[in-house]
Amino acid sequence: MVAQPSRSDQRELVRERIFTAAGVTAAVALVTTIVLFLLELFIASRASRAAFGLPFLWRSEWNPVTEKFGALPMIVGTLITGFGALLISTPFALGIAIFLADYADRKLAEPIKYLIGLLGGLPSVIFGLWGLFVLVPIVSKFEVWFGKLVGSEALVASGTTGVGLLAAILLLAIMILPFSASLILESLLVVPTELKEGALALGATKWDTIQNVELPYVQKSTVGALVLSLGRALGETMAVTMVIGNGMKMPTTLFDPANTLASAIANQFLEATSPVYVGSLIQLALILFVIAIIINIMARVILRRGVQQ
Amino acid sequence: MKNKRHVSILLTLLAIVAVLASGCSSKGGSTTVKELSGAGATFPYPLYSKMFDTYDAATGVRVNYNSIGSGGGIKALTDKTVDFGASDAFLTDQEEAAMGAPVLHIPTCIGAVVLSYNLDGNPTLKLDGTALAGIFSGKIVKWNDPVISALNPGVSLPDLAITVVHRSDGSGTTSIFTSYLAAVSPTWKSAVGAGKSVSWPTGIGGKGNDGVAGMISQTKGSIGYIELVYAVQSNMPFASLKNASGAYIVPSLASSAAAAAVSLPDDLRVVIVNSPGADAYPISAFTWILVYKEQNYTGRTLAQAQALGKLLTWMLTDGQSINEGLSYAKLPAAAVTKALALVSSMTYGGTAIP
Repeated sequence: MVAQPSRSDQRELVRERIFTAAGVTAAVALVTTIVLFLLELFIASRASRAAFGLPFLWRSEWNPVTEKFGALPMIVGTLITGFGALLISTPFALGIAIFLADYADRKLAEPIKYLIGLLGGLPSVIFGLWGLFVLVPIVSKFEVWFGKLVGSEALVASGTTGVGLLAAILLLAIMILPFSASLILESLLVVPTELKEGALALGATKWDTIQNVELPYVQKSTVGALVLSLGRALGETMAVTMVIGNGMKMPTTLFDPANTLASAIANQFLEATSPVYVGSLIQLALILFVIAIIINIMARVILRRGVQQ
Repeated sequence: MKNKRHVSILLTLLAIVAVLASGCSSKGGSTTVKELSGAGATFPYPLYSKMFDTYDAATGVRVNYNSIGSGGGIKALTDKTVDFGASDAFLTDQEEAAMGAPVLHIPTCIGAVVLSYNLDGNPTLKLDGTALAGIFSGKIVKWNDPVISALNPGVSLPDLAITVVHRSDGSGTTSIFTSYLAAVSPTWKSAVGAGKSVSWPTGIGGKGNDGVAGMISQTKGSIGYIELVYAVQSNMPFASLKNASGAYIVPSLASSAAAAAVSLPDDLRVVIVNSPGADAYPISAFTWILVYKEQNYTGRTLAQAQALGKLLTWMLTDGQSINEGLSYAKLPAAAVTKALALVSSMTYGGTAIP
């Protein structure tokens, strides 16, 4: 098979090299960008790290007047809204994906898929407006009803606003639903037909097949889909700002106004002038970055364990 | 062959771009300045953009103004990337020190902050500093609280929880409102203080005037502060406030202008909240344009300094006629005189600008 390299082979080789170089450059650029990001956040937040040190992570005071800052309320707000939204939206996402993949016929599935795509492409400010004008009043009624149910005077009295953690969780759950649903659906659709047919041939019911063949097959990509959706929920800013109440204090119930890291930064960065204040806001971004990294690592660990079993 | 043609097209394009770019950048060297740039506060943005349009039509000098927020404006001026900054709050001593050179505060208009609320039947409320400090610090929690009832004889106030709405973003509006609360309530001053963002003891936050207004119109029993301009444009009810001389004043252009009709310091770096004027609405404030007193920095030409001086002078004189049409209060004559004196105190290389 060893032949004299012809001109076209050489050309091929050059093309190959150029392509490899371009690919490597793109990959290196991506990694470098992320590292530079992290580095920049780290450097730009030095004023706040010098002033507060590690306790910045667990202090819950946020006072721009006295310039005392702590990130705990925003960290808690981010994690509660992100995981809460994931918890609520996951069963729906799975249900939608399974229904579209295995139950719905084409005439029904296509328009639904189109609508899911549309929902996923809506700008978040539209979700925010819908949240403020439709969701929040409903949450507010629920709040009063719940307050009466548990006999909490405080909830009945103060709980007339509807904005707060719960509204943000519900809104985020709706916002990430199209993402997780369509990603899970994509992976369900590529489950080899032979596997499904094999299971059915062995006498398995449709549900047996889904449970024992399809779901295990898409386990990995499902976790991936959920992590991507969680990432979107953690970083969502505009819609959250509009319904979460933007309280900078530690929330004590799900009905309290709270804030997330992203929303706090977006709200306060423009008018922050003192170095410590700006530094603290940038440190919030750094924390959000680190949370995103930790969640990705955790997802990898979970996946690896799942594969080993 | 094809590739060669592509290359030549690309080169031609590059050449065109280069010619255009050099054409644009030649403004610094010429003697007539055709362009000035500024950045800062969002509150006066509608006014400034109208003023600068008019100025361009009258003089041919274009002014680019980016409403990126007071903080951004202060930063841009500190970095010397603009001819002027704009801010709703005057520079703190710390910020002024960071500038490295003396900065002049030139007021351009007066803004008022009003208290808007959502109550059945839209009663016209009267409030005072004590009641507001109580409400915003979470000590007065019901609308039928004796403190509020005593100010509003004849108005039946409901047994309804008060929901406080404040700004969630840093803003000059918050700065003006909290300066007022700090001026009338020593407790507020020591517990919360004043600033573009503060640690609110209670309430929910909305982003921007529209965010606060949206929350208010959504929530029965809510009260929040918004700019007069915004309240007028969106037809929201607002309260009369008791001023320092004891009269209840309806916020308006005239009553907020009256707040500045008092003796002012020469540098005009002053908060005019709780003004002693008899007809003054108590939550009024200047918004300022910030410029360096010494204009010869980072290679600026005398022509640039002159153009800036002319623009500021115009804004304080002819430009003032634009204010009221856009619901911004005009500067009173005394304030204009002092502001003009500040403009003419600008120097170039240590001597007055001709």
